[in-house]
Amino acid sequence: MHWIALRALPEAHLPAASDGDLPDALSALGWWALQFTPKVARLPGAVVLEVSASERLWGGARPLLRRIYTSNKPVAQVQYAQGATSLVALARLHDTALKHTAPDDLPLHTLAAAQPHLATLARMGCTRWGDLRALPRSGVARRFGAPVLAALDQAYGLAPELYPWLVLPEVFEATLELSAQVESAPALLFGASRLLRQLQVWLQLRHRGVLGIELRWTLDARRHTAHHGQQVVRTAEPTTDMSHLQRLLAEHLARVTLPAPALYLHLRTLETQALCAPSTSLLPDDQPTGDSLVAMLERLSARLGPQAVLQVHACADHRPELMQHWQPAVGGNKLIAGSAGAARAGGRKGFKSLKDPKDLKSSKTPAPAVPATSALAPTWLLAEPIKLANNQVGPLAPAPFAPGLLHLLAGPQRLEAAGWGGTPSALRDYFVARGDDTGLLWIYRERLGAAHAERPDWYWHGLFA
Amino acid sequence: MITTRSAKTGGMTPAEQVTILIIHTVILSCFASKCCFAMLSSPLSRSVPRSLASAALRCPEDFGDAVWRADSLARAAGTTVASGHAVLDAELPGGGWPVGAMSEILQVHSGQHEWRLLLPALIKPDVRGRTSAPVVLVGAPHKPFGPGLHAQGLDARRLLCVHADRESERLWATEQALRCAAVSAVLAWLPQVRADALRRLQMAALSHQKLLFVMRPAQAQADSSPAVLRLLIGSAPPISSVWRDDLQVQVLKRRGPPLVKTLLLAARPARLAVLMALAPQQTEEAHALDCPARVA
Repeated sequence: MHWIALRALPEAHLPAASDGDLPDALSALGWWALQFTPKVARLPGAVVLEVSASERLWGGARPLLRRIYTSNKPVAQVQYAQGATSLVALARLHDTALKHTAPDDLPLHTLAAAQPHLATLARMGCTRWGDLRALPRSGVARRFGAPVLAALDQAYGLAPELYPWLVLPEVFEATLELSAQVESAPALLFGASRLLRQLQVWLQLRHRGVLGIELRWTLDARRHTAHHGQQVVRTAEPTTDMSHLQRLLAEHLARVTLPAPALYLHLRTLETQALCAPSTSLLPDDQPTGDSLVAMLERLSARLGPQAVLQVHACADHRPELMQHWQPAVGGNKLIAGSAGAARAGGRKGFKSLKDPKDLKSSKTPAPAVPATSALAPTWLLAEPIKLANNQVGPLAPAPFAPGLLHLLAGPQRLEAAGWGGTPSALRDYFVARGDDTGLLWIYRERLGAAHAERPDWYWHGLFA
Repeated sequence: MITTRSAKTGGMTPAEQVTILIIHTVILSCFASKCCFAMLSSPLSRSVPRSLASAALRCPEDFGDAVWRADSLARAAGTTVASGHAVLDAELPGGGWPVGAMSEILQVHSGQHEWRLLLPALIKPDVRGRTSAPVVLVGAPHKPFGPGLHAQGLDARRLLCVHADRESERLWATEQALRCAAVSAVLAWLPQVRADALRRLQMAALSHQKLLFVMRPAQAQADSSPAVLRLLIGSAPPISSVWRDDLQVQVLKRRGPPLVKTLLLAARPARLAVLMALAPQQTEEAHALDCPARVA
């Protein structure tokens, strides 16, 4: 058996656990210790962990200890002690001078069960564990009670040590008292990053990825009537990548104004999902470099707004402006082209329904036949058709460039589509036209009956770029 | 300087050409080290010590790739993706668009000719062999029209449009897109970009090995740019007042000698090209909108 006892130094203590939802440093320390062994127990004032079963995983006792000592912990200052039993380790935790003391020479005040009887024992001349152990067992049991004897047996490894082992909660919830009042929202990020590190430990131990988190801040009640503020961050794919969450949080917090200084931060998981880790490749070339597509989309959408990052969806309609629908790439359906998600493309109906979906994936197959009319579709479509002036050079509306004089090259291509559900109907003749130095344009003439036949309205709708 | 000298070598004997070449290598210190290294390492010069010139006279071809001739195209440092236009590929170092480098496309009005030029390369498998990797458009002047692009082989669902008004946001979005592993190509419209921002994009494209096309106005051709390839594109001028639908490409900068001639690309889908060939050629300056009935 190999026990390690950990204790947060007094100055690193957070407010006591009795304050309701405020956390204690020991729980955070216990969670952190769970990554080394499942046998972690929280005792009054200390955390003990039994590592003999997992030493081999970490390359032996010495590398494991080095890892425990040097890795980044949720509590700034931590004391360590180790021993063959948890009580020995706890006793050595009292004083650094006892680090290598044999159990028999440990002072009696370090044994919690003997604390009430210290004065009596001292008058009997018992100051060390060895002295107490040398006394007759029946007499000790009669005079000091069975718990002292049981503790002594456990301390010397004669009786098993059983603790209520630490179990992670179902929902991550942590609170941080900010060391100073925070005036601006972006400055909250520093405190949030500490909570995110705890969240990462929790996620790793539960083998889950987070889909949504909520960061709440408690405001100084004396300064403003509002007591709380919150920011929810959601991701499309379960992630354990805290840097991504932190970046998203930073983008959101940059737009938040705090009405009063913040005192506390609370982090809570809204939704988590069991994580399926990606299988990595043995070959170094196959390792992907760079961000994932989802991470990039979420970052772009967080800063520029979801309406600024768009992907297209095909719609069954004859009117060009309704043939496709642009919608936010985040939160909607996945891009066909996602790094791993190309397989999902098969069942989707879209422009691709014109041809076999399998053809697109293999580059060797020749381009399948497309309807004859598609060849006459432009590659750019103007957001709004621009009305062209009769007898005038240039359009009426502001345009990217003035088409100037137009010459019709091909057409008409007649479009007659009625509007369903309130959408306007279209009665148009499309032409391919060219300007003097504009390349090919797609323009249409509106057919509104005999009254307009003399002077029909012409619109510019697309470009064959 | 390199081009004027190499242009003069046209009427010389091979021996004189090689001598001039050697002089060049001495003048240009960066090439000199490369050339001397090649000579020392060639078996001939090691066995029989000679002067530099005589060794070069004897076997100029033996140096192989160690000597870069000033009048030839540079070998592409990285991989390239064929542009799909044979005429253009012949003039580009490495035979295509450089991957992991920035290519600048200059034109008078944005949105006029991009797809004709770039679409054949975008539908090809990228450097990792993917044909359905996303293509990010940052600040596109219009909306891409899915059916039209699909007719030319590009699935519009690969496209990801990022709209940003401010130049700094466009630059940021472009850089983020370059960093993404899944993205195969990035097209960015940057009308008022500064050279230092472009250099940053060039470095991002280099470190993440992406195709990056930056569209800029034609006025920017006088500015310096870190792009390894700069093209000025536009409609071909009419020949004897007969209109042509070709795409005119002028290579402003490439890794190699400047290209004096302009290239003409007939880059249209086959059906549209046939239609254009059959189109009535109007030589008089008639306003079509005045007399639509005549054409219709």
